[in-house]
Amino acid sequence: MSKFADIQIDPGIVRRAVRGDARAHEIIYRAFSPAVYSVCLRFTRVPAHAEDLLQDTFMEIIRSIGGFRGDAPLGAWIRRVAVSKALMFLRSAWVKRGQSLDDGWEETAAAEADNSRCLARSEQAIDLDAALAALPAVSRAVVWLHDVEGFTHKEIAELLGRTESFSKSQLSRAYQRLRPLLTAEAAASGKVSAMRASVLSSC
Amino acid sequence: MTDHSSNSSDPAMKCALSSAEHDALRRGLRNLDDTLPPRAVWQRIEQQARAEGLFEPRHAGLRKWFAGAGLAAAVVLAVLNIPFAPLNDDARVEFPTEPEYVAVDGEELPALNALMVRSRQIEKNLRALPEQPSLVRASTAATISELEDQVAAIDFVLAHPDLRLSPEQQEIYWRERVRLMNSLLHLRAAQAQRMSF
Repeated sequence: MSKFADIQIDPGIVRRAVRGDARAHEIIYRAFSPAVYSVCLRFTRVPAHAEDLLQDTFMEIIRSIGGFRGDAPLGAWIRRVAVSKALMFLRSAWVKRGQSLDDGWEETAAAEADNSRCLARSEQAIDLDAALAALPAVSRAVVWLHDVEGFTHKEIAELLGRTESFSKSQLSRAYQRLRPLLTAEAAASGKVSAMRASVLSSC
Repeated sequence: MTDHSSNSSDPAMKCALSSAEHDALRRGLRNLDDTLPPRAVWQRIEQQARAEGLFEPRHAGLRKWFAGAGLAAAVVLAVLNIPFAPLNDDARVEFPTEPEYVAVDGEELPALNALMVRSRQIEKNLRALPEQPSLVRASTAATISELEDQVAAIDFVLAHPDLRLSPEQQEIYWRERVRLMNSLLHLRAAQAQRMSF
């Protein structure tokens, strides 16, 4: 379950925030800013960009909270705003660099070697953060959105302005990259099943 | 929102990860610690929001506090039984010289204006009284000092540029000011009478 869903805000605080109460907005910020900042940092890997995205996200929340009807949890709405901002940033960065969203895998080939060394170093513990960092930015975002935030491929595709196939392809390639790490972890925890062996042998 | 079950029907996903590996991935990702943002970010957000007029004015709460404090002061004075004349009664005090009253042209002014005029009248009457004697009872001196402090506090609120008081709030303060000034006038007039004996 996403960390955003674990954060509960008193409805009275939200009502005060809707009225423009600065203190109420600060309470909401204090509650959600670590989750928002972490998502932005995982997507961009650059603290300065993550800070800017955090500021953009909460400015958007302050401007738009009057339209928040409370149909969905506040955390889900804030997550949606944060993810949208972060993906927009990734898209714009790609546009600026004149590259397509498919690019990036070749660039990370060199990083893969570093990643392998990292995996070999941590035989017992998963250093997922480092493994994620070695993925291309869009694949990293797709993995996070799909496996942590619970977005569907359709939703991810809409956010990225691409097709569902694109989202699935990015996820599949990311899984292939992460597999050595995860196999070691699964084996260590005794969770490698006979089914896995049969599934893998069929590929 | 979640479609994790779709992985089981997606051959590409199956080839990439087993269910145990996928569980390990999800568990590992969700256990990653959050990173705290730098402290200065909220300050920047707050500044920008205030600049865009998205927050209530900074002293909105302070205004409410002062309004409440004004009413509380009135209650405290009533409990302490500090003598004061009702607002609409003429002061039945014998003055060394008859106080002058400002003409109001016979018109019935709105409440706020009437309170301001009344306040000026009392100030004029106070100035018409002789100087305070050098020797006064400690309790009288303390009461006078307390009343003057409370009037000064109200004047501070009424004159503060950032505290944009509503007409209703201004009326509360002006009414309280008149009441305090009236009490002050009675005390000073009583002093003046004792001096004349």
